[in-house]
Amino acid sequence: MVDQAMPRSISISRRALLAAPAAAAAAAAPSWPAGVEVIDAHSHLAHRANPRWAEDDRALVDAADKLGIAQLACSILPAERAATPDVFRQCNDWVADGMRRFPGRILGYAFVNPGFVREAAAEVRRCVEQRGFIGVKLYNTYFADEPVLNPLAELCVELRVPLLHHAGRPSWLSPPQPRISDGSHLSALAARYPELMLICAHICGGGDWEWQIKALRRAPSVYLDLAGSVADEGVVEMAARILGADRLLFACDLSMTASVGRIRGAELPEADKRKILGQNFARILARRGTR
Amino acid sequence: MIDLNAYLGPFAFRRLRYRTAAGLLRLMDRAKIEQALVSSAAAITYRNAQAGNEELAAEAAPHRGRLLPCAVLNPAYAGWRDDLAICHDEFGMRAVRLYPRWHQYRLTDPECVALVQAAAARGWLITIPVRVEDRRQQSWLVDIPNVDYDEIAALLRRCPDAKFALLNGSGYTGSLLGRAHNGLPPNYVVDVALMTAEMTNEIGQLVRNLGEERVVFGTGIPFHYPEPAVVKLEILDVPAEVKRRIASGNARRLLGL
Repeated sequence: MVDQAMPRSISISRRALLAAPAAAAAAAAPSWPAGVEVIDAHSHLAHRANPRWAEDDRALVDAADKLGIAQLACSILPAERAATPDVFRQCNDWVADGMRRFPGRILGYAFVNPGFVREAAAEVRRCVEQRGFIGVKLYNTYFADEPVLNPLAELCVELRVPLLHHAGRPSWLSPPQPRISDGSHLSALAARYPELMLICAHICGGGDWEWQIKALRRAPSVYLDLAGSVADEGVVEMAARILGADRLLFACDLSMTASVGRIRGAELPEADKRKILGQNFARILARRGTR
Repeated sequence: MIDLNAYLGPFAFRRLRYRTAAGLLRLMDRAKIEQALVSSAAAITYRNAQAGNEELAAEAAPHRGRLLPCAVLNPAYAGWRDDLAICHDEFGMRAVRLYPRWHQYRLTDPECVALVQAAAARGWLITIPVRVEDRRQQSWLVDIPNVDYDEIAALLRRCPDAKFALLNGSGYTGSLLGRAHNGLPPNYVVDVALMTAEMTNEIGQLVRNLGEERVVFGTGIPFHYPEPAVVKLEILDVPAEVKRRIASGNARRLLGL
């Protein structure tokens, strides 16, 4: 297993992340179980091709305030998902700016295209080691189990940061994402790197969530983020029953009321909800000491 | 609260944990929903939807104070006029749910318009779920798109004296249905089940564009957790009186409660 000790030194920017989250967030959503700081493990700031990006970012944090979400782990994805290094560096620069604009509220994922092996690795190091990013976000340029991902997976292990991977199991009738990963692809990557903190994205993001949960059963190192707009009754309970509450992460992917409502409604012990809402992700972040 | 978007019975492609009356009431109690307009989930895929209405009537009968039964009728199937009469006279139903994509007809087909007019003549509420499931998770056996908003708008125009509730929809603000002064008769309401109250805040936009009397509470239980709809209402930035109308007042008016 990876060394879980705190790093000896924490960069300045990472210290900023340790600042107390806004009091407004802590004061909201009295329905959350006591003693938990809620972290959204999968969110996005607005791409700046959107002329309303500043207002949209503000609206995201305002919504987090209303819903009692203390921190949001964000990336920015470009329109062209097979992004060149210039493009993914710019997206990450915008995330870093978001971390400055909302101190203590925004945690950064570095988005890269693993096809640019050397540049992607350099960008992840720049973001994590120099700017206090907490993890890596990958989209659907490659399946999760393609060898091109190996260097990034090894780097995430070395840096002790999580790898959040886009995923889904859409029906065969859906518009194609030719290389969208499902639970089987993530399981294969996890088998190759069992010490990797791999997060399967948005179980409620559309697609057959029952299939996804079952596919991850025998990949015990894979976490599952519960984000998405689908509010199907029972999804959280099934995930907890088959995978265990220790592997589940509260997340919204911008579907905030659906995601908050699912957790509120899930028939789980309060202790399990506390794990899902923030304790599990805090444990992941503690591996590197980003929180 | 009154939920205009609830169901009983099994669904063909996924187990619904709270598909019985007792189960649904448990969800309603948990979310503080006093009454719900419920239709048969099985009737979505039964060839003869009336069999689902019969099952629903029996299941809901002991709980008539809280479970308000709603017929599923298929204007493309034999005997819908007889079924409508039975649902009204024997089962005491006062609303209908239409599934034009699942039952393979168009809302503007003459038989559908005739059904809507017959139901409206009895004072029924016409409800149209825009979708049952997210299309991305449908079974490999089916390919059921959402109901088209232009098709709905055409029916609204064709039947100006009927009253409609559009359920499980979103993105209305990008269509004629969600625009202010859209030239459509004000004969429809939309439910909050799948709309946002945060960020883009579609619910708030529709309250502004259509009026506070045109938005209603709906959850989609037991397909959905009830709590997301409750959370939307909680954080919606409107006066308390407007929230009360959305939560129950508008539904009372539509159902004559």
